[in-house]
Amino acid sequence: MDVLNNLGLGFSVAFDPMNLLFVFVGVVIGTAIGVLPGLGPTATIALLLPITYTMDATSAVIMLAGIYYGSMYGGTITSVLLRIPGEAASVVTTFDGYQMTKQGRAGPALGISAIGSFIGGTVAIIGLTFLAPVLAKVAVAVGPASYVAIMVLGLFLVTSLGTGSTMKSLCMAAIGLLLSTVGQDPITGTARFTFGIPSLLGGLDFVAIAMGLFGVGQLLHSLERTEKAQAITTKIRNIWPSRKDFRDSSGAIARGSLLGFVIGVLPGGGGVISSLASYALEKRRAKDPSRFGKGAIEGVAGPETANNASSTSAFIPLLILGIPSNVVLAMLYGALLLQGITPGPSLIEDRPDIFWGVIASMYVGNVMLLILNIPLIGIFIQMLRVRTGILATFALMVVMVGVYSINNNPFDMWVVLIFGVFGWIMIKTGFDAGPLVLAFILGPILERSFRQSMLISGGSFDIFITDPISATIFGILAVFLAYSFINNRRRAREATAPAAVPVDTRVEAK
Amino acid sequence: MSAIKLEAPQGTEADPAATPGRHAGRYRLVPLVLLATGIAAVIGSWRLTLGELNSPGPGLWPFVVSVAATIAAGILAIVPDTEAYEKWTRRTTMLAGGVLSLVVFILLFEAIGFVVPSVLLLLLWLRAFGEESWRLALVLAVGGTAVFYVGFAVLLGVPFPDDIVVGTITRLIGM
Repeated sequence: MDVLNNLGLGFSVAFDPMNLLFVFVGVVIGTAIGVLPGLGPTATIALLLPITYTMDATSAVIMLAGIYYGSMYGGTITSVLLRIPGEAASVVTTFDGYQMTKQGRAGPALGISAIGSFIGGTVAIIGLTFLAPVLAKVAVAVGPASYVAIMVLGLFLVTSLGTGSTMKSLCMAAIGLLLSTVGQDPITGTARFTFGIPSLLGGLDFVAIAMGLFGVGQLLHSLERTEKAQAITTKIRNIWPSRKDFRDSSGAIARGSLLGFVIGVLPGGGGVISSLASYALEKRRAKDPSRFGKGAIEGVAGPETANNASSTSAFIPLLILGIPSNVVLAMLYGALLLQGITPGPSLIEDRPDIFWGVIASMYVGNVMLLILNIPLIGIFIQMLRVRTGILATFALMVVMVGVYSINNNPFDMWVVLIFGVFGWIMIKTGFDAGPLVLAFILGPILERSFRQSMLISGGSFDIFITDPISATIFGILAVFLAYSFINNRRRAREATAPAAVPVDTRVEAK
Repeated sequence: MSAIKLEAPQGTEADPAATPGRHAGRYRLVPLVLLATGIAAVIGSWRLTLGELNSPGPGLWPFVVSVAATIAAGILAIVPDTEAYEKWTRRTTMLAGGVLSLVVFILLFEAIGFVVPSVLLLLLWLRAFGEESWRLALVLAVGGTAVFYVGFAVLLGVPFPDDIVVGTITRLIGM
């Protein structure tokens, strides 16, 4: 059994005492930031990028991955107790989770979330373990035209299904792609948009942009809000769900695992979409849908399971194709690039220690998270007492010192500050930095694939139709666009909202 | 190019029918800045030479991308999206001062090292934005600075600029 051998290698990496420590640190930080207000997984990974730079590549990815899936557990806690989603994927959990808290059933709600998350996460890792090597073999044969299609689909889904306005997100994605062209042309070496500044020849620094937009921008914004920390008055009892709770939610957990896994593999997939889809599915399947929104345990178990499954299976496109499917994974991709490792079809052959080490560490991390989230949940709830002002001030200092430490150059502090102010203005004006950063990471890969496709086809766009993967993806996209166009037209006519029509026709025309 | 020429004048002309509310101008501010960036990038990539599709020049890809950015920003400038737009409050102005304090921090950091600017910045932020008591703010500022200094300069070996405080202490001990 090849897979078992490889997994053995993975576990030997993951059980290295230092790596065990980093898994632990990762999942603890992940859970903590899920609970803490104002800091999400993206901002946290951005803050920690300079520190991971000094670490061994495998340990760095193991820790950052732990933060990512750990935050999926932690985000649940505030959703259930305070109706404040700790991160975007947990928004759905507030619907029924908070109602359960009001009915005095906060314990079972948190318990079933942790158990569902564990099952969903583990199912997805098993899927990842067996599917990844097979897909990696297929991935080698994937042509540049398919790459273009996959990335276009990913960007499209992130902009249209993400939070906020689609047009604003599209605009941000385009700006991100534009920023990624700064520097030398990868083929001819011509300087592009460098304005004669030599340090721009290598392109804009991903770390500085990410730390600025997510780190400083987010922190400035969180300081601006005056809201005080909310006190937890709920007593948490009976965290281990009853037999009836298990019976009610077992179907939801099983369906959530499968649904989450499938959605996570898709470009643009990951947390938010999978939890929404699971909630919709459970509500539709229920004998009495009116219970939803009033404390139905399936409405907590399903989405929580699905978002963990999808955040794990989202590693498949990252590790196998080298395409990050969402913003958090784009940060991980950036971290790998910092280490001089380019994720892609050859990673599994070139660096099996990283590939299998990360997968094995996820098994370990999920067990740790189950322990952290059932018996030790009280400790994390105490963290809600940490005041935003103190947290943000210290996080800001971490950013400043951290970015300096990358090159020991105060110039980077200025770059971070400038992007931080940009990020803050973007948040204030409702522009989402996520698509910008994702597009910035995808930009060079997209340009390379596009130019390769053009070279292969001799300048003809037919290649996107003759390539089966690309044809399928663009076909689906066209159908989707046509459907939403017709749908919008109908809705616009019914609601007589004249402003909506010209926007949509423009999107179509493009 | 003709498409872009169409966008710019339309964006600046406020269309009263599409204006949501009285303060539509400020919703247009960011899209207009982005629009200007997009147009500049279109011209810039045009100058880089586009080449042919079968042998793309350095400007082709930036051209495609900047046209997309220009169209998207143009649409937003014509039909501003007011969703998730936050008000400019008194605290926002205060925070602009916070940004200024960061500027001072970086300048001082380059001149006299980490310790003094760090204590001052932490103290200011904890007091002004965290609204903590003077005592707690002072304790956290001094303690936090010590932790940062030990963590980064001592444990991670980051070479901070010459520090007047640490420099004086080591000289005194050395004597």
